[in-house]
Amino acid sequence: MAEIYPIGGGKGGVGKSFITASLGVLLAKWGKKVVLIDLDLGAPNLHTLLGMKSPKIGLNSFLNKTVKNLESAAVPTMIPNLFLISSFHCYMEIANLFYAQKLKIIDAIKKLPFDYILLDLGPGTNFNTLDFFLTSKKGILICTPEPTSIENSFRFIKTVYFRKLKQMMKKNTFDSVFKDPSSDLNGSRINPPDIIETVLKYDPGKEAFLRNTLSEFKFKLIFNQFRNNVDATLGAQFENICNRHFYSIFQFLGNISYDSRIHDAIFSKILYIHKYPHTQSAADLKKIATQMMSKIPSASFAKDML
Amino acid sequence: MKKFDGLNYYEILKIPMTSSYFEIKRAYKDALSLYNEDSIVTYSLFSNEERDKIIEDIKNAFSTLTDDQRRAAYDRMLVDSGQVETSIPSREKQDSSSPLSSTHASVNENHLYSRVKDKLLTKDVKALSDEILLKERLSGDDLKKLRNAVGVKITEIQYITKISASVLKAIEENRFEELPPDTYLRSFLRSYAKVLQINPQKIIDGYLKTISLSKKTNDSDPK
Repeated sequence: MAEIYPIGGGKGGVGKSFITASLGVLLAKWGKKVVLIDLDLGAPNLHTLLGMKSPKIGLNSFLNKTVKNLESAAVPTMIPNLFLISSFHCYMEIANLFYAQKLKIIDAIKKLPFDYILLDLGPGTNFNTLDFFLTSKKGILICTPEPTSIENSFRFIKTVYFRKLKQMMKKNTFDSVFKDPSSDLNGSRINPPDIIETVLKYDPGKEAFLRNTLSEFKFKLIFNQFRNNVDATLGAQFENICNRHFYSIFQFLGNISYDSRIHDAIFSKILYIHKYPHTQSAADLKKIATQMMSKIPSASFAKDML
Repeated sequence: MKKFDGLNYYEILKIPMTSSYFEIKRAYKDALSLYNEDSIVTYSLFSNEERDKIIEDIKNAFSTLTDDQRRAAYDRMLVDSGQVETSIPSREKQDSSSPLSSTHASVNENHLYSRVKDKLLTKDVKALSDEILLKERLSGDDLKKLRNAVGVKITEIQYITKISASVLKAIEENRFEELPPDTYLRSFLRSYAKVLQINPQKIIDGYLKTISLSKKTNDSDPK
């Protein structure tokens, strides 16, 4: 069974694509068969980070059936074992994917014969991003150690919950009040935090079901662009708060140190992790990739599960 | 979003029920800094009312758990209401299993003081205490030597001074990292010295000098 890791988080520019590419390279170098899927539809650039010009085959080939399945849409990269499914050649309006196409993609992703499948998601919280994020129960949230970014991560988690809730309501009968949960809540559209509580309040019979479903998620957190002057315990605090106040399990995977050479590498279309394997940032990325490979939860993770 | 509903005071502070005063205090400080309105982790997560409620809960937890009587009553309530297993009062069990409360409940302070006084007058003990007091730096070993020479048990010091045996042992065994902050340590050393009837100031100064020296050597350790 492939391990699927959707990589998202509220804000743009926090390094989702960079981290996706770097983790992919590391896992592939360690002998795993890895595919990266660029699901930042409408603004794909994972191929550039991997030093590729414009892959001819990609998600478009799968959608217009020029290849027989999604696996055939994966093209090799300069790193052995590492493949890319690009959305570079998709038609201009791909960002507004039809619902049926989206389901088709998600369904095909789950069947891909790889060891690791990393999904590079777009910023924000539109339905496509959320649904791709919900492809697996172990989404990775990337943020920078800044108030705005952390704030957006919370919003992202809440929106994921909200989306999951709506999916569930389609399949399960909830109290009619909640056929459209947003309608009942004052200003919930701008401020989605208490959707779960509201459901629990009006339809308490569903509480256990709801909590169980949400508790199956094991989200992972990464701080990117971490500078020395930032409180080193921030990640632990973030993990602690999420585990306490949300309904799922959160694991902080680590900080990735800021390095201006990362920008330089992106500018010159060079794979940073490949070019500078001995920097602090590379070491941080390796630590995170190791944790993704180990089936044993880290110490802090186990502690919080108690 | 979950708040603190349904969590007991120990869970709110994220500490085990056997926590000592210092552990509770540290957990309290951590919780306050995590939930204060300037915390970049939580500032966006709660409304002002929610935050006020959370801070209030944290403060209640701290004030209850740091008051021995209220803590005991609270622990009993947790057990009686079935919120925790009956086996929790391992903290109390610790106390009762130590020889202190049962066998030494009858430590007679006056008797002990006169006993120590007599000992200090004997030649050997006097020589030892003079030798120790002449030292510029004092270690836990010196204190232990002196205590044994005057024939006082740790549990007796614990009984009279109300300082826990584990702290007393940490002092005597030079486990500096386990010791409380200096302000408390000074007062502990003073009480300790009083039981042994030696000059408290000498003991405090000598012992603190040893600690600061060991810190310096640790800092300059290239590792």
